[in-house]
Amino acid sequence: MSTVIRAAIFQTAWTGDKESMIQVHEQAVRDAAAQGAKVLCFQELFYGPYFCQVQDAKFYEYAEAIPDGPTVRRFQALAAEHGIVLVLPMYEEEQPGVLYNTAAVIDADGTYLGKYRKTHIPQVNGFWEKFYFRPGNSGWPVFDTAVGKIGVYICYDRHFPEGWRALGLEGAQIVFNPSATSRGLSGYLWQLEQPASAVANEYFVGAINRVGQEEYGDNDFYGTSYFVDPEGRFVGEVAGDKEPELVVRDLDMAKLREVRDRWQFYRDRAPGAYTPLTNP
Amino acid sequence: MTVTAAEHGLSVRQILALERIAAGEPEVVAGAGHLDRPVRWVHVAEAADVGVMLSGGEMVLTTGVLLAGNAHARTEYIKSLHRAEAAAVVLGLGRAFPSPPEDMRRAAERYGLPMVVLHRPFPFAELTEEVQSRLVRRKFAAVSLSEGIRTALTGLITAGAPLQRLLDEIAAHSGCPVVVANLAHRVLATAGERSAVDDVLRDWERIARRAGCADGADWYRADLDGRGERWGSVVLCGYRGDGPTGRLLAERAAEALVLHRMLGGAAHTWEEQSAQSILTDLVSGVVPARQLLPRARAAGLPVNRRTFAPLVVRDGDPAELDRVLRLLGLSGLAAELADGATAVLLSLARDQAAGPLTEHFAARLRTGAGEQVVVAAAEPCTGWDDVPAGLREALHIAQAAAGTPDVPPVVRLRDVRLRGLVRLLRDDPHVQAFAERELDGLLYADDPGLLPVLRTYLATGRNKSRTAQLHHMSRPALYRRLEVIESLLGLDLDDFEQAASVHIALLAHDTQRG
Repeated sequence: MSTVIRAAIFQTAWTGDKESMIQVHEQAVRDAAAQGAKVLCFQELFYGPYFCQVQDAKFYEYAEAIPDGPTVRRFQALAAEHGIVLVLPMYEEEQPGVLYNTAAVIDADGTYLGKYRKTHIPQVNGFWEKFYFRPGNSGWPVFDTAVGKIGVYICYDRHFPEGWRALGLEGAQIVFNPSATSRGLSGYLWQLEQPASAVANEYFVGAINRVGQEEYGDNDFYGTSYFVDPEGRFVGEVAGDKEPELVVRDLDMAKLREVRDRWQFYRDRAPGAYTPLTNP
Repeated sequence: MTVTAAEHGLSVRQILALERIAAGEPEVVAGAGHLDRPVRWVHVAEAADVGVMLSGGEMVLTTGVLLAGNAHARTEYIKSLHRAEAAAVVLGLGRAFPSPPEDMRRAAERYGLPMVVLHRPFPFAELTEEVQSRLVRRKFAAVSLSEGIRTALTGLITAGAPLQRLLDEIAAHSGCPVVVANLAHRVLATAGERSAVDDVLRDWERIARRAGCADGADWYRADLDGRGERWGSVVLCGYRGDGPTGRLLAERAAEALVLHRMLGGAAHTWEEQSAQSILTDLVSGVVPARQLLPRARAAGLPVNRRTFAPLVVRDGDPAELDRVLRLLGLSGLAAELADGATAVLLSLARDQAAGPLTEHFAARLRTGAGEQVVVAAAEPCTGWDDVPAGLREALHIAQAAAGTPDVPPVVRLRDVRLRGLVRLLRDDPHVQAFAERELDGLLYADDPGLLPVLRTYLATGRNKSRTAQLHHMSRPALYRRLEVIESLLGLDLDDFEQAASVHIALLAHDTQRG
């Protein structure tokens, strides 16, 4: 039996309105499916601009219910039509005034599997997220999809090794890290942290970043989305830094077993000694 | 890059090995582990406080007359040389000391300062002259090499020379393969002896990773950057000269390439030029496909266990095609070949269906370009060796489709039918003679309007009312013209075989002109 999963990630630029943005992503689902991809993850807050460059309550209207909102419904139908697992990072409204930075996971038959809510919320220049989101409370769910066990770790989360590890302990084989990050701020980290996390936790990581500049600030989103394997090596080329791009790669899960047989990080970790980490 | 004296200097060891110095019977008595220190200058000094006169890197020559009889002064002397970062101390025996003083030797050993004694009397002037002149010559050679290359490259750039010409010049100076790569380690251009370049490209992945970190033993890398952005690097692979010269050559090369790019010396990006040279070489068949495999791989095209779909898009903009490829996540090379034909070589995983993907690609091209783009597709090739024939087939289909009305978004060999065959055979003298023979009476007729009428009549399937309509004439007028045509050609257009014959001749005639 083949252990290869054809996986895709999609980076794109803000089109100026939500509907055309959704259409661009629907097309990406068709494009990915045409190539035989079995799983696809979009960028953070995929159908909107990255409005956290400013603090303005008018952007609250981008939030939708998950899973009962229109966008999840729309992509559930598309997932079923193309037999593809979808990860949809979007703005979630649990109830008025209770908002999260969330990713919904849809199985290849259109079933809604659950959601992950971004745990670590930044509040730094150009990334005023605390204005928009409550810190996530979903724990570290790993979704048992048609292609295997998938975790999601959103943007700023990636700077915290604990969540990566928690997803690994839950059995994640691929962790997607949808992001919106700017050249000046994180350029030096982008090809360092996720590969290191892939190595430390011995799974595949798909890192996605949007492209272009938007009307709400100076953030220069630099794309360069990629897949990285459990040895920290990029799978194929890294995407460009300016244009929309669909990245389709074959991930060989045999590599995961091979690396875990070689290194025994999960066996040799010492949780008993980590108590201080969980002191408030 | 500044040419520092240290880089172009001589080491202590090299100086001691000079033939003229050997006459003094030099012996290293301390600091033998530091003989590879570079010597910047040679300084003769009989002063106890010599340290204050030095600025580092000097080889200090002394007879030690001021040091005799004072053990403290001797160790202080060595200490001050060490503090001044002198390269070595040379003590001429005989005048003050018959043998190397042990306290000096011990101090030198402790500070790691090479201490050399000369057992035979030796004129210091001779040593300074010898070393100094060598040092100056070396410095001068480096500066002149640097200037020589810079002048040659600047001359090429101002003359508007293409990238390849610049690289050839750099390769000629360095005598080793030169590779330009982008940040993703995709090879954009190469120069140097073909077989050596191929060897480098075969192993490119490994070399690229190594070159990404630092200079290696015999290859030298320089970044290509400008306007605050780094976009690639140039690597001299296996340079045989000394390190400083290798680095200097790489720096000069990078300078010239940056300048070339900034002056917009290229109408196409380097990525496009790289794809273009590979695809052009594939189509021409001058170089066997197998030999082009390393270049294709180094240019970022996946080649192992792949299916290749050769496509040609008429009047396609390579940059736009490349954009759509990326948007769709497809691996491929795109470049303009000639006469407005742009080739695209898709590389697909073995389990990907080339047909539907090509359709998908064509559909996305149409939505993007908003016009009637036609993609000519050859049969997918499962082996790299079949790619050149595939590309030629796609070119042929594209040419044939150019004259065919109402073609689908993806046109294949079977879609171009008779026109495809005629197009394929258009350079055959027998076909040309056939066309001339069949149309002889009509081609040079007094009425130039007859040929278009015949063309329409045959193209409409010998539909007289449609032909009359299209030519804005009455049916009786059309009948008269058809009679004239029949008599000029000496045939009966109602006879299927005769009509078919003249139709083929007309297609052949038209392909000669299209």
